[in-house]
Amino acid sequence: MRYFLRKLGFFLGTLWAVVTLNFMIPRLQPGDPAELMVRRLQGKDSQLDTAQVEAMRSMLGAPDGSLWTQYWAYLADLLRGDFGVSYTYYPFSVAEVIGQAIWWTVGLVVVTQIISFVVGIVLGAYAAWRRNSKLDTTITLGSTFLGTLQPFWIALVLLYVFGYTLGWFPTSGGYSASTPGLNMFFIEEVLSHSTLPAVALLIVTPIGWILGMRNTMIMNLGEDYIRLAKAKGLPDRTVALRYAARNALLPSVTGFALALGSVLGGTILVETVFDYPGLGRLMGEAVSNKDYPLLQTLMLLTTTGVLIANLIADLLYGVLDPRARRAEG
Amino acid sequence: MARPNEGTPLLEVRNLEVRYEPKASRSLTAVQDVNFTIAPGEFVGLIGESGSGKTTLATALLRLLEKPGRISNGTIMFDGTDITHLDQDELRAIRWRDLSTVFQSSMNSLNPVVRIEPQFRDAIEQHSDLRGEDVSARVRELFDMVFIDHRFITAFPHELSGGMKQRVNLALALALDPKLVLLDEPTTGLDVVVQHSILQNVRKLQEEKGFAVLFISHDIGTVLDLSDRILVMYSGRIVEDQTAAELLREPLHPYTKGLLGSYGDPRAETVRITYIPGRPPDLSLVSEGCSFAPRCPEKIDRCLTEYPELLPIESGEVACHVAALHRLVGADGIELPERNRRFVGPEFVKTADESAHARERDIVLTVDNVTKVFEKRRGLKVDRTVAVADTSFVLRKGAVTALVGQSGSGKSTLARMITGIDSPTEGRIVFHGPDGDQEVASFRGRALRSYRSHVQMVFQDPYSALNPTKRLGQILERPLVNYHGLKGDARRKRVEELLETVALTPADRFINRYAYELSGGQRQRVVIARALAVLPEVIVADEPISSLDVSIRAEILELLNDLVQDHDVGILYITHDLLSARMLADEVIVLNEGRVVEQGPVLQVIRDPQDPYTRTLLDAVPNPF
Repeated sequence: MRYFLRKLGFFLGTLWAVVTLNFMIPRLQPGDPAELMVRRLQGKDSQLDTAQVEAMRSMLGAPDGSLWTQYWAYLADLLRGDFGVSYTYYPFSVAEVIGQAIWWTVGLVVVTQIISFVVGIVLGAYAAWRRNSKLDTTITLGSTFLGTLQPFWIALVLLYVFGYTLGWFPTSGGYSASTPGLNMFFIEEVLSHSTLPAVALLIVTPIGWILGMRNTMIMNLGEDYIRLAKAKGLPDRTVALRYAARNALLPSVTGFALALGSVLGGTILVETVFDYPGLGRLMGEAVSNKDYPLLQTLMLLTTTGVLIANLIADLLYGVLDPRARRAEG
Repeated sequence: MARPNEGTPLLEVRNLEVRYEPKASRSLTAVQDVNFTIAPGEFVGLIGESGSGKTTLATALLRLLEKPGRISNGTIMFDGTDITHLDQDELRAIRWRDLSTVFQSSMNSLNPVVRIEPQFRDAIEQHSDLRGEDVSARVRELFDMVFIDHRFITAFPHELSGGMKQRVNLALALALDPKLVLLDEPTTGLDVVVQHSILQNVRKLQEEKGFAVLFISHDIGTVLDLSDRILVMYSGRIVEDQTAAELLREPLHPYTKGLLGSYGDPRAETVRITYIPGRPPDLSLVSEGCSFAPRCPEKIDRCLTEYPELLPIESGEVACHVAALHRLVGADGIELPERNRRFVGPEFVKTADESAHARERDIVLTVDNVTKVFEKRRGLKVDRTVAVADTSFVLRKGAVTALVGQSGSGKSTLARMITGIDSPTEGRIVFHGPDGDQEVASFRGRALRSYRSHVQMVFQDPYSALNPTKRLGQILERPLVNYHGLKGDARRKRVEELLETVALTPADRFINRYAYELSGGQRQRVVIARALAVLPEVIVADEPISSLDVSIRAEILELLNDLVQDHDVGILYITHDLLSARMLADEVIVLNEGRVVEQGPVLQVIRDPQDPYTRTLLDAVPNPF
């Protein structure tokens, strides 16, 4: 219990630090966002109209009052889910923009991550258990080779072959003709649109899990408790799963939680290649359009995601490895 | 399967050979032409040094060899079945139900993420019809057999102490009333007292339940103490097979004599312990003749060319030309060494007189009413642990003081305070050095550095005490540069001198070698040479021989003794081993839970212990004599 409370405390502390930094950093930057916005709308060389700037300022909700009151207002806004207005998608608020994109990313990336993890762990454990067999060599060599390829490159190849040449799958977007909603047509469209990005991710992401699991498990197989389990005459399945894989899984679980956390950052390159309407593409747009409110919120979202994932990983580790509970407690 | 009759062996090993054939390096034969039997209910000891192949043999018997190791010849008959080449599915029926084991480093043989009960349950359910509550009842019964509280049944392995884990492993091995239990160094690394009680427990259970035991150890004292019969293994072969009583009365193989000679009774007036010079052969090289010949004081010409067969001699079997010629065929014109019960090699002798003189020498360090309390914060609470309480003693020039106690008795804490790493909570440690009396705890910066040139440390594990990336020359130069600023030829000359002092000669053969090229004994010599480099007045030696093979321990003890005699160093010898304390020390301090319970001239304390704790320690020393 002590272990879990302590981890929760760490999480809250770090979260506060992240939120505060997110507040501080833009305020340390030079320049007035309202002026920048007006310049962007009017072109670089035009004369700045103070009235326009004023108008823009009131529209964007420019800060006033002391830093302290601003800070409290900022915290209150965060709690209400008010992140300001997006420059790119004006007049939509950042919350609305992200709220739409996030489901596309969560759907695509979380699903592929889970599949990758399961596939990776199973293949890795199997390769380790039958190490130096043909299958192990195939898995290891294959992973090492595929691991050198970049997901976006694979994405481009897939797009060319299955999208343009064969025309089996749509080449861009999340859906095309339908209206979003819970109808068969829409669901079918979403699936066919996300197939290529998902495949691009599924080719590369399991590799880390395969190699990681294989290595830890091979190390674990040399431990005395494995030898003892064999000496006990337990069936291979039990030795492999309950004794070897169960222990080898520990580091991967932490890794997996962290990987899920970074999902909120999206997969910029793959999403961009397929013009997939997720957070990654949004992030790319926010950067190129200097859309500060959007960018800032995405950053906050990503770091929070990683933090939450960290917390889950720690808590999970406490459950899975009884030793961790004591060492810290 | 019919039960074997009386007289038919439970385990019968014939011509067993195990080879390791790795792709990347030379292949080697780890076990060669091994023949022996174990009768039902017999307690057999297997003794040998590290690298003798005893663990490989055990692994082969359990059919747990992993590639690149394999049984390349011979047969293993267990309980009437040839198990040499049974496949894993067929073996499963025998495993644990008939043949179980406790491993060498059993600290790690329980699955760390699973509670203890399920680890009993899976084995029991695999091999018997017990289910559910019946299994739990059996586990409780087993815990009673090894005297462990039932509340630990549901604990995780890390919640148990080392000794408890080992007891649990023993209980686990007995879960299904096996016919043979293979114990591979089951108590190595445990405290003497704990070790003693576990082994007594094993012996008692063995007598009650009647299972047979193959007990593998490098410690001839415990093996002799427990076993009915003993197998001696050297470089992959059995060299002698005798009953324990016979082996003790008249060992036949010179290697057995050497091992026996490395063991002595600490209570004797004069103790002689011998050591076997040299080191075991490299098994990946094909050798001619007897593999022990290069280290053997009794060798004759024939030993260098022909490997001696294991022949029945008197009540046992021995593989030695000299023993065979003496006792079987007669000398037949060959000039033989005298028949001898002892190992006629180098020995280390310590008499009572030497010590009396040493106890009158000048005091070099005083430990005066020292107390050390460790505080550990746990949230708002502070845990106070008294590691050392109100301890006083002195170290003298040219004398050895032994600090004896179990792990956790505060020995190492005292060493840390004496070397200035920690400072006492109360009391003083005073160094009577060339600059007058100085309190150790007051040293800072330059003064502490200078103090460290007077007080040096020799660590327990010579394998981790030497930087693996440095040559021996560089290792020994370091303190010379740091403390004496020696350069060029002078420095090189001093390094050579140091190597010669610790008998690593000729020095120029060692100066450019790396620590990993040396044997354990040689490494410990380097560690001692490094401590000597700065001409210290005090050496704190923390269990300097406990990680070394028995046959060479006396060699290091002798070296330390020479240092005391020739260089006038004062040594604080920290150990849990009363025999070595007896051999080396002039005075002994017995420490229990941070307190000195007894102190005095070593022979007096050992022969006439006043404190019950000292008696417990003494009783834990195996005494086959």
